[in-house]
Amino acid sequence: MTSVCFYFEVHQPMRLNRFSVFNIGKTSSPFEYFDNQLNEKIFHKVANKCYLPTNKLLLDLIDQHDKKFRISYSLTGTFIEYCQKHVPEIIDSFKDLVGTGAVDLIEETYFHSLSGLYNDLTEFEEQVYLHNAMVKDLFHVTPKVFRNTEAIYDNRIAKKVADMGYKGIITEGAKKILDWRSPNYIYKAVDNDLKVLLRNYMLSDDIGFRFSAQGWTGFPLTADKYSSWMAQNQGDLINLFMDYETFGEHHWQDTGIFEFLKHLPENVLNHEHMDFVTVREAVEKYEPRGTIDVPWAISWADEDRDVSTWLGNDMQRACFQELQDLGPHIKKEKNHEKLDAWRKLQTSDHLYYISTKGFEDGAVHSYFSHYDNPYDGFINYMNILQDFKQGMKPKP
Amino acid sequence: MKVAMIGWEYPPFKTGGLGTHCYGLTRGLADKDVDVDFYMPKTSKKSISDKDNLHIIEVGEASIYPYDRPEDSELEGNFFESVYRYNDLIVKKVKGNYDVIHCHDWLTMKAGIQLKEKLGVPLVVSVHSTEYDRSGWLYPNQWFIDIEKEGMEKADIIIAVSNFTKRILIEKYNIPEGKIHVVHNAVYRLGRGEKQDIVLFLGRLTIQKGPEFFLKAAKKILDNSEEKPTFVVAGKGEMLSRLINQSVDLGISQHIMFTGLLTEEEVEHIYRIARVYVMPSVSEPFGITALEAISAGTPVVVSKTAGVAEALINCLRVDFWDVDEIANKIISLLKYDVLHSTISAEGEKECDLFTWDGVADETIQVYQGVI
Repeated sequence: MTSVCFYFEVHQPMRLNRFSVFNIGKTSSPFEYFDNQLNEKIFHKVANKCYLPTNKLLLDLIDQHDKKFRISYSLTGTFIEYCQKHVPEIIDSFKDLVGTGAVDLIEETYFHSLSGLYNDLTEFEEQVYLHNAMVKDLFHVTPKVFRNTEAIYDNRIAKKVADMGYKGIITEGAKKILDWRSPNYIYKAVDNDLKVLLRNYMLSDDIGFRFSAQGWTGFPLTADKYSSWMAQNQGDLINLFMDYETFGEHHWQDTGIFEFLKHLPENVLNHEHMDFVTVREAVEKYEPRGTIDVPWAISWADEDRDVSTWLGNDMQRACFQELQDLGPHIKKEKNHEKLDAWRKLQTSDHLYYISTKGFEDGAVHSYFSHYDNPYDGFINYMNILQDFKQGMKPKP
Repeated sequence: MKVAMIGWEYPPFKTGGLGTHCYGLTRGLADKDVDVDFYMPKTSKKSISDKDNLHIIEVGEASIYPYDRPEDSELEGNFFESVYRYNDLIVKKVKGNYDVIHCHDWLTMKAGIQLKEKLGVPLVVSVHSTEYDRSGWLYPNQWFIDIEKEGMEKADIIIAVSNFTKRILIEKYNIPEGKIHVVHNAVYRLGRGEKQDIVLFLGRLTIQKGPEFFLKAAKKILDNSEEKPTFVVAGKGEMLSRLINQSVDLGISQHIMFTGLLTEEEVEHIYRIARVYVMPSVSEPFGITALEAISAGTPVVVSKTAGVAEALINCLRVDFWDVDEIANKIISLLKYDVLHSTISAEGEKECDLFTWDGVADETIQVYQGVI
């Protein structure tokens, strides 16, 4: 039997207001950092193009296939806050999905942050607990599988996640950690029993990146063709992990992406040796076939599959350091508003906008960025961090 | 292939980007075995070529500064007479077997049109600036526009230095899009020097180049931040006395240095030692100076209404009128070392993409399309 494990990452960052050096030291509330108007506009757009129609389609498909079609989601805390504020019916539809019993939820840091890379993992742990509490409160689910922001993984993170009681973790099936081995099995972390699910990036990116690429040999991709590719794969498990916005937002409706999704379950289930599992079921059902050792952090991003997307240049590292250094001071103040703003500033997207990586990846970055270029992203973000820092200084 | 190229400035005599372009282009072409005869007005500093297949031919006695805006009193006087005289001389002097005639900007267009008929060979016209740019879109002079329009219409193909300029040709001169080919400018890299606390404006002091916005940004910085750099205004032009008065009125004259016109060596030196270069042009077809600055490791803050802003990735773009944002970006470059070092290093690397060799290749392709 080969199981297909279909998982979606659902996230929206809190984009920042234009903040010039002349604003430093003049803010009255950290909420002024966030561009509520732009954020609301983008959220409504993505809700209508992706979240609402895709949720509805997937709910129908689960019903149609008598729950044999099974999927998993990771919902960030910032995403949920957007829903609560602007489009609460999205939460209702996620509740319906979870209610079918065919949908599992995954744990991650509430703020989609890089706190897993901090010197001290206390903040990381707190953000995971915040997420855990949110999922439990809204959906009455206790996740067993963890996914770190952008699938960032190393041995230290794995150890921490195992210590926190999770049974599995998701990361990238990167060549540099697998070498000749297949991503289509479960592996285990070094020094503990945490099971590792590895993203099959070839098959995942066929949908996520290449679906509407007309120059691609697989174009046009049909559910039938795609299922037959999957059926030829050896192994226990095919992990298809992608951004939820793939459906309707990265690939618009007129590319046929919804038609593709609609026919995918029947085409997969037509192959007798294939079924669908949630992430929880995957780690319960399959045993590890080997160990993966990751001393240096990997991720699912860009060609490099490392953390250079967020920490690749001096500007990014300078912001990351400032952000981290603010932590102890903010926590001492016990000001909820400031703590919350600091955490929203930790969302990895703010550092992503500052990436200066080469043309190929750069093209992807600018597609996702509302800044003219990485330098504008840096100026804005750094100015805000400077303002935040000034606000921390004890008042005379 | 043999080209008769008609320009009006060539190093060492040079007042703007056109001279730089003609120098880089003709040498690039010569290196690719294209024979180039470059015709230009006689100047006090004789231009020479060290290449066998590139000849610099000076014609007549006219000294013309076509980027200068003629005063109204001159409109029917010497200025236009010398332009006509130069064009007439060119038409008489250019003889021989050429495959193509290549003209640069309005000043040479009348000659180009007549030579096209006389020699029966295709005409290529390069547009480095239009009357709309030079006037800063304030009271453009119809006399220039008519010459430019006629030259563009009679040309077999037009080379524009940017998409920004291409759009102007389409919208203001009604030139069909398919007739315009964009070739971005290039730069000979300068290499970096020891940076000093200098924020640099370098260009003709005219409405087009936006020097008054540079002074207003300086005022904003000096009043509102801890940064106290020296703001250098390099170049000459009709706005000089007005700008000096403006800096006095703003109360910042002790922080502003007006250098007047600099020599080639001085220009290169100041690019190397400046910490930030600012180009707040109202309307800039390309802006080679921005490439020269970044090739010296000096980050540039450039107007969005400049051709270079569409070509150069590693720069900071601003609206020329948005003084607060210009100031914000200058301060950020002065204050955040990591920003300065990253943009400087990445920008220097990017300069490798802007070569005269590449410009020559693209220009040859354009020639081949009409021969």
